[in-house]
Formats: sequence, structure tokens, C-alpha cells
Amino acid sequence: MTAATDLSFTAPGLHGHLSQLNQEQLDTLDFGVIGFDTDTNVSQYNRHESEAAGLTAPRVVGQPLFTNVAPCLNNFMVAQRFEDAQDEASALDDTIDYVLTLRMRPVKVKLRLLAAPGSAQRYVLVQRKL
Amino acid sequence: MSSAAHAQLAAEHEALIQFLYLAPVGLVQTGIDGEIVMINPISAQLLMPLSRDGTLTNLFTALEDVAPELRHLCAMFARPNGMICDGLHIHLNSGAPGKRMRVPHVLSLSLLKLDGARLMAVLSDVSEQVRRERQLRQSDAWLNALLTSISDYALVGLDREGRVSDWNETIGRVTGFPASVVGSPYSVFYPDDSTTPERLQDRLREADANGWSLEEGPRLRADGSQFWGSAMISPLPDRDPDALDDGEPAYCLVLRDISDKRDAIARRRKSVFCDDLTGVANRRAFFEAAELELTRNRRTPRPTALILFDADHFKQINDRYGHPAGDCVLRQLGMALSNTFRQVDVVARVGGEEFAVLLPSSNLAGATVVAERLRQLVASQPAVCEGVSIAYTVSAGIAAIDEGETVDLDTLIKRADQALYAAKANGRNRVECWNGERDAS
Repeated sequence: MTAATDLSFTAPGLHGHLSQLNQEQLDTLDFGVIGFDTDTNVSQYNRHESEAAGLTAPRVVGQPLFTNVAPCLNNFMVAQRFEDAQDEASALDDTIDYVLTLRMRPVKVKLRLLAAPGSAQRYVLVQRKL
Repeated sequence: MSSAAHAQLAAEHEALIQFLYLAPVGLVQTGIDGEIVMINPISAQLLMPLSRDGTLTNLFTALEDVAPELRHLCAMFARPNGMICDGLHIHLNSGAPGKRMRVPHVLSLSLLKLDGARLMAVLSDVSEQVRRERQLRQSDAWLNALLTSISDYALVGLDREGRVSDWNETIGRVTGFPASVVGSPYSVFYPDDSTTPERLQDRLREADANGWSLEEGPRLRADGSQFWGSAMISPLPDRDPDALDDGEPAYCLVLRDISDKRDAIARRRKSVFCDDLTGVANRRAFFEAAELELTRNRRTPRPTALILFDADHFKQINDRYGHPAGDCVLRQLGMALSNTFRQVDVVARVGGEEFAVLLPSSNLAGATVVAERLRQLVASQPAVCEGVSIAYTVSAGIAAIDEGETVDLDTLIKRADQALYAAKANGRNRVECWNGERDAS
């Protein structure tokens, strides 16, 4: 990873870069990162997301994302998109407007949903809207 | 505070937050006007797909398209605190199995008024319970019919086409019809616009399939007076209707006068199936009636029409005259619709200022005539609200299923909605029919 690599929320090709970052590097990002595997279990959870949600990583890592971590995403707008991409073995890179309930407050965010065929790792990226 | 106590408190706080994150039911706290203060994830899961403006700022706004009565319900709740609604069912769509498995069909909403400034709401997806209840209700109706004390009844034999096959004293006593009624279809006991020839056959087919078919509604005596009756049709045992000649009894119709129970039945039905503000059917009643009609339509082909009406520039009426006047306009529109359409048609309020009318056994041309009559009636008769005359107009979109055509309810609604959109785009105060464009996926 070189210093020139674009790791902003909107950067192209982000899926490939994220899978190469270690925890320390993920924690420096200025947006939330939730990585999860083929069984939807959370495998990566960075500091930005942890602070926004008020949950530390040990409570989250290893838990199924759509039922035990972020049930608010368990509808056709988010979870269904990941399922469809998995069923069709296609790439997913959609950015949508959404509202998260961080610490029970409605917070407007942009979500970027990332999946790549052939990669077990999938991501929900969260950027607060100003 | 010591750092250990501080850490303990932080851990407990985190556990509490997670407890709320994971609660498998939606919890929302709002201001008295519905402005959201606190909200948990399941609420977002259920509300985000419905939210008209893509935000979760106001609970009433988020639910506006599917539960337009909420604001009114809260405004009308006079007590300083208490349950405004308990397990109110909000019907989102027809519930027909779609390709998307994650779309709920019915939400349940309870609203508790804490005080003059705060509301708590509980939301949950009850699609599965509602499906089960519907099955149970059928059996309940049958048991009720058997167990309710019977004061008097008419026992009518029907031939395989549904014509009265014999006369007996009970028919004379309950309905006043003489022996010359033999040979008439059993619709002779129904007021003019409360059934159709196809509907008469539907009930015979349902009796064939289920062993019985039960229905309550207005019935007609020979002298033209009406009573509230229940009618149960069952096939006579050990008779194959196809092997019988015309005029031979194939079914038994038990007709009971239940006028004295009508108030109780009507009250119960109203609380479940009527729109609180306008008194016409609500979304739940509309979807149930429409699904049933389309099922019948598939079994015995006949045309079916759907009209969507929308009050034009309704927001301006609310802004200019206030919400109470807007509500008054909607009530008068509901009344005009009920008076214009047949009793067999289903008039329902399906959105804030949107009404749907389902017309069994009607084609596009027939529906257009009545829709146009309603449009003209509204345009020529301003609503009068507390002495103020408010002129308004409506636009209408119509779609129909031709005899023998297979169209599901969601598609039919989408088509009528496209026609309504065209009526709006072409200047409002108009009736437009679906133009046959390919359905968008």
C-alpha cells in the first residue's frame, strides 16, 4: 500500500484496497467500515464505526451482521442487494442514502455497499452526511 | 467517581445500547407532532423502505403513504395520556408472494401518549400472524353461524345454476316471496346493486370447493324493504351438480334475518375495516377484497376494473384552509364516492388524499363512465366545511382486467397509478385510462 493510494469513501476500487488493510490502518479511516464474510458474520469493524455506534469491536466481531449487529439494514434496500449479488455472483458497488439509528438517534448517512465475485469479504461503508 | 466505577458504568451503558439495538421490535419516541427523538434499528429496517422523503425525521410523514390517518388519530385523542392505538394493522401491499422475500405485508403499530409533548411507538412486522389469522377467521365465521341463536330462517333449495327450486313456508315468512319466486336466481333476495351474476356463481363454486359459503349483507323482501341477513350456501350431500337437471335442487341456502345483531357486527367490522376519517373502507379491507375478487376472476373469467382517485392540489387546501378543513373535504369526497358507486364496488381510502374503487364485473368503458360522473359531481359541488365553501377537483386513473386476462393486483394498481399520473400531467380534473404501456419492472 503506497501513500498515494486513494482510501476516501468514494475512491474507486476500494474493495480491493480494504481487504489488504490491517486493523490499525482501518482505524485511521474517517468513515465507518463493517466487513463481513459469506455467512454475514462481521470480521472487520473499525474505530470510526465503533465510536459512532457506541459499541466496542468484541461485542460485534463474529456476530451475524443483519440480525445481531445492524438489523436496520435487514431489508430489500441493503441486505437484499448483497444476497442478489451473491446469488448472481456479480459485483456490487452501490452508494445509497440511508438513516442509521446510531445510539438511538436517527442519523442521515451515505452507505456504500461493496462485494466482489470471488472474494469472501463484503463491506458496508458508512459516511455521515453533514 | 473512581475509574473502576466509571468503567463499570461505561460497560453497562454499552450493554444497554446493544440491548436496544437488538430488540426484535421497533421502538420510537417522538414529539406529539410525530417528530422522531429516539429510534431503534428495527424501526429503521421497517420504516426506511416506506419513507416518502428518505428520512426518518417524522414518524407520521414516514408512514403517510400507508397510514394516512395517524396524524388525525393523535389529534383526536383528547385524554392527557394513554394508548392511542394498540396493535393497529398497517397494510403495505397485497401480500401476494413477490420476488422480494424481505418486503413485509402488514405492520402492527401501537402508539402510547406519554403526556402533552411525547409519544412512544412500537412497530413490528406481523405479516405471518395475519396470514394465519385469515385462515382461522374463515372457520370462526362458520362456527358463529352455527352457534348464534337463530330466531327464524328461510330454507331455500337452489338448482345448480342458483335458481330457487322449491317454495316452502319459511321463504314466505322471512322474505315475503310467494311461490312464483321458483325459477328466479337467488339474487332475487339481494338489493339491486349489491351483487352481480358472476358473484352469485362465485358463491356456488366456493360452496363446491369448501363445503359452504357464508356472507352477511343487506337482503331484500318481496315488498322492497331490506333487512340485514346472513346467507349460508352448502351443496346438498351426495349430489353431483353436473348430473342434475335444471330446476332440481343442488344447493341449500339458509337465509337468516340478523338485523338485531347488525349494530354489533357493524361496529366490529368498522373498527377493523373502515378508515377512521372518512368511513369508507381502509387499505386492509381494500387489499383483502381485491385479492379475493382477483382470485375469483382467475377461476371464472370476467372483467374487473380499478379506479384510483386523487384530490388535486390537496396540499394547497390544507395550507390555505387548515388541516381540519382538509379532513372535511376528504370526508365529503368519501361520501360522494360511496353515493356514486354501486354497493358491490369497494370504495377505499388508500393514501392521504388517494382513494381506490374496485369494480367487480366492470370493464374499462363502464368504469370510465362512472369515474367521469364522479369527477363532474366533485367539480360542480364545492365541499362546505363549517360554512366555508371549498372548491376542489379530482383526477382519476383507471385500469381494467379483460375477461380471461391474468393480471396480479400489484400490476393492476401500478397501471391505474400510471393512468392517474397521466391525468395529473395532462392538467388534472381529468379521467385517464391506462394506455397499455409495457409494465415497468
